[in-house]
Amino acid sequence: MASARFPIPQGTLDMLILRTLSLEPAHGYAIARRLQQISRDVVHVNQGSLYPALHRLEQKRWLKSEWRQSETGREAKFYSLTRAGHKQLAVEKASWDRLTASVRLIFNEGE
Amino acid sequence: MAKILNLFRWRRDRLERDLERELRYHIDRRVDDMMKTGLSETEARRQASIEFGGVAQVQEDVRDTWIWRSLDALALDVRYSIRGLVKSWGFALGAGAVLALGLGATVAVFSVVNTVLLQPLPYPDAERIVSVETFWTNTGRPSQDVSGPDFLDWQAQSDVFEKMAAYYGGDDFAAIVGDRALFANPRYVSADFFEVFSQNASAGRLLTKHDIPVGDAEPTVAVVRYHWALAHFGSAEVAIGKRITLYGNPLEIVGVAAPGFRYPGAADLWVPSHPGGDRSDHIYRAVGKLKAGVALTHAQAQIRTIGDILARQYPENRPKTATLIPLQERLTGNLKATLWVLMSAVGLVWLIACANIANLLLARATGRTREIALRTALGAGRGRVVRQLLTESSVLAGVAGLAGLLLASLLVRGLVALPPANLPGIDDMRIDLTVLLFAFGLSLVSTVLVGLVPALHGSRLDLSEALKQGGSKATASRASSRFRATLVVIEVALSVILLVAAGLLVRSFLALQHVDLGFTTNRVLTAFTDYAVDTEQEILIRAKVYTDVLDRLRAVPGVSAAAGIAFLPMGREPRAARDYFVEGRPEGQPGERPQAEVYAITSDYFKTLEIPLRAGRDFDRTDTPERPRVAIINESLAHDTFSSESPVGRHIRIGSRSPWMEIVGVVGDTRWQDPSHPAPAVIFVSSAQGAGKSLSILARTSLDEKSLASTLRALLHDANPTVPVRFETMEELFDFALAYPRFRTQVIGLFAAVAALLAAVGIFSVLAYLVGQRTREIAVRRAVGAQAADVIRLIVGQGLRLIAVGLILGLAGALAVARLLEGLLYEISPWDVGTYLGAIVVLGVAALVATLIPAIRAATIDPFIALQQE
Repeated sequence: MASARFPIPQGTLDMLILRTLSLEPAHGYAIARRLQQISRDVVHVNQGSLYPALHRLEQKRWLKSEWRQSETGREAKFYSLTRAGHKQLAVEKASWDRLTASVRLIFNEGE
Repeated sequence: MAKILNLFRWRRDRLERDLERELRYHIDRRVDDMMKTGLSETEARRQASIEFGGVAQVQEDVRDTWIWRSLDALALDVRYSIRGLVKSWGFALGAGAVLALGLGATVAVFSVVNTVLLQPLPYPDAERIVSVETFWTNTGRPSQDVSGPDFLDWQAQSDVFEKMAAYYGGDDFAAIVGDRALFANPRYVSADFFEVFSQNASAGRLLTKHDIPVGDAEPTVAVVRYHWALAHFGSAEVAIGKRITLYGNPLEIVGVAAPGFRYPGAADLWVPSHPGGDRSDHIYRAVGKLKAGVALTHAQAQIRTIGDILARQYPENRPKTATLIPLQERLTGNLKATLWVLMSAVGLVWLIACANIANLLLARATGRTREIALRTALGAGRGRVVRQLLTESSVLAGVAGLAGLLLASLLVRGLVALPPANLPGIDDMRIDLTVLLFAFGLSLVSTVLVGLVPALHGSRLDLSEALKQGGSKATASRASSRFRATLVVIEVALSVILLVAAGLLVRSFLALQHVDLGFTTNRVLTAFTDYAVDTEQEILIRAKVYTDVLDRLRAVPGVSAAAGIAFLPMGREPRAARDYFVEGRPEGQPGERPQAEVYAITSDYFKTLEIPLRAGRDFDRTDTPERPRVAIINESLAHDTFSSESPVGRHIRIGSRSPWMEIVGVVGDTRWQDPSHPAPAVIFVSSAQGAGKSLSILARTSLDEKSLASTLRALLHDANPTVPVRFETMEELFDFALAYPRFRTQVIGLFAAVAALLAAVGIFSVLAYLVGQRTREIAVRRAVGAQAADVIRLIVGQGLRLIAVGLILGLAGALAVARLLEGLLYEISPWDVGTYLGAIVVLGVAALVATLIPAIRAATIDPFIALQQE
């Protein structure tokens, strides 16, 4: 099934993280799992690369984090969106929409 | 600092722990999930780990996102730099010391400039306080000395001042505090004096207009300086209500000024007085505080208009009007030149030091070509290499800056202790925030000056070339050689400027020191006294007491002559010139009359100071108060007024109403007040005839002057215990008069010497490095038959070219800046050829020595050994 699984496109991981966290706060493992579930296992996130991205977004003040009990009872680091994060998500979604729309246009023209 | 570092470390440790926990949680959850699908724990852990992609790698990637990362790199750079500098500690020590010296000297001089010129005077709204002055239209110069009636008119007719005050005084007066006779320095001030400076009392009250004595009444109260109160009464509060006697006049202390208040500088106490006298007596000084929002130019125009009206109104005012000068400018004006010259000189030294170290670092950078090439080859970016090299110079400049600051604080203490200590505000001079910022900025600029060029050079390496050539012998690029040559040329040029300046100052100082004063200063003890008198009777008693003391002093073994004079020499008590009149000649208009300084003396004055008698006689015992008044004039006056006629037997008087005096003698000119000024016209009058005031006693002795002092003190105490006395030798007074010229000469001389030395070191380092670079070439030349002399010629030729260019540029620069020194020079032109030649010779010789050493080293290269080593 390797052919059906995409490496995540460059620069979209941030947007996917923001989108995932816009639903509810989550810890790193949950984010990874949810990304895979939502994309029906099509998008493959290298689990390791998730953490530098999370820390980078936190440095940018788009995410905030706190330690609290997870569903298994152990302490986990939960990330959630800040106000700036919500704003950023809107910006990224808009530009993504524009991009996909134009890409679709290009393909439709060719058919 | 350590605290901040710890804080950083603590935060970073916490981040690290959190990260580890976070990642462990992820993997544990993954393992749990996999085990649910039936995998063994070991297998699940293995797979989870692979899937995750290496915990260490992820940790590293995450750390990269933390800003602490850049701090870590900086710490690494710093550690690396320190290690590098420690390794070549000789270089580091030398370069650091040179830079610390340059920085320290510059910061020290700046702190003086800061205190004296840049900081406002220590009074509230100091920028609104002005000195109100007489402007002499006939000479075009302002003068601080104003007359009482003029001041009162200015005060009455102007509306630009919040408050104005006049004051006079300046001499030390005899005072009795408790039962001690001592000197005190009073100022007689008008009512609003303290309001001009917006002062409050630290105890008691300040003066009001009700304290001003009416008519001929004597003042009854005084306000004293805080530290004076402390010294004599122990505290400000205790001083209140105490009675002191000032020149026979009892005063009650009603107030103590605020601790920091001093104006004018020497004043110990302020006594109320009403400005008086007539319009040609310029004994007052005036200060005023402008109303807020009044422009200086507007106030100036108004006071000038008032002065012009007075000039038309009163004949005495014809040659004068009035003007304003900001008080700060008035107080520091004569220092400005000296200080800016010092500041520029020290700035040059600093620049030379920077150039020198840049040169050394450049040499090092070139020597480290291979190391840097290796680092670049291993993946260090250009920015990283520049940063590394810049860090090195920052560490150097930082350490040097700290050392320089320490040095500066020592130097500042030294500067304060040096003779010209009466700089305004110098007592509270300290290294303040401005100075710290200046020092920091200077270190920063030094870092860039010293480090950037070598750093950029180092980063612009051709890798394959540098590595291929191997060793540290990689040839310097042509650009860097040219740059280093330029640095040396600059150093030489700046040193020439400093040497010329120093040469001019030294020569004028020597001229000043050897100036013919017209009298002999050595082996003369001076005793300044103040004998309070009130009535005519007391004046006669005073004259008798002085005569007796002098007679007894002359009888002391070892005393060859003794005399008295009413004023001390060498600027301690500046004298105003007075109009004089010659019998049988027209009086002339005010302001156009001839003027002379007037001194009351006893007989033997000329003998004591070995001043030659040109004609007539000295005062003697026949010149009693009952006899007709007599006077002695100096050659200047004789020449100006009588030219070829004989002045002896003619009559002269001071002021148009005083009795005529017969001129009985003519004596040689003396530079009695300021060695740098030609002798003024002088009239000597006889103190035995009741003229003048208290005397300073002068004694010529073959004994040690100081031992004579105790004898004289006892004689005076026997005669009148209320007369305070203070001793100095005539040499000390003369030294004091030369304090400023000596000070600037010493400092600039020192700077110039350091600069020349640095320039020589610069030349040496460039050439020595060059020889090192060209060892192989020289060896080949030698091998094919070049003589030692040829090699020396080659290297010296290289050096001489740099030196010649530097000398020429330096001469041009010196010619340009010498003009600035003009006011500080005595009997020497700023374009004195000898001095310029001297500077060239001194620097040329130093530079030649600096080139010869590496040249000789080059000549002694053994071609066999040198070529084998390659």
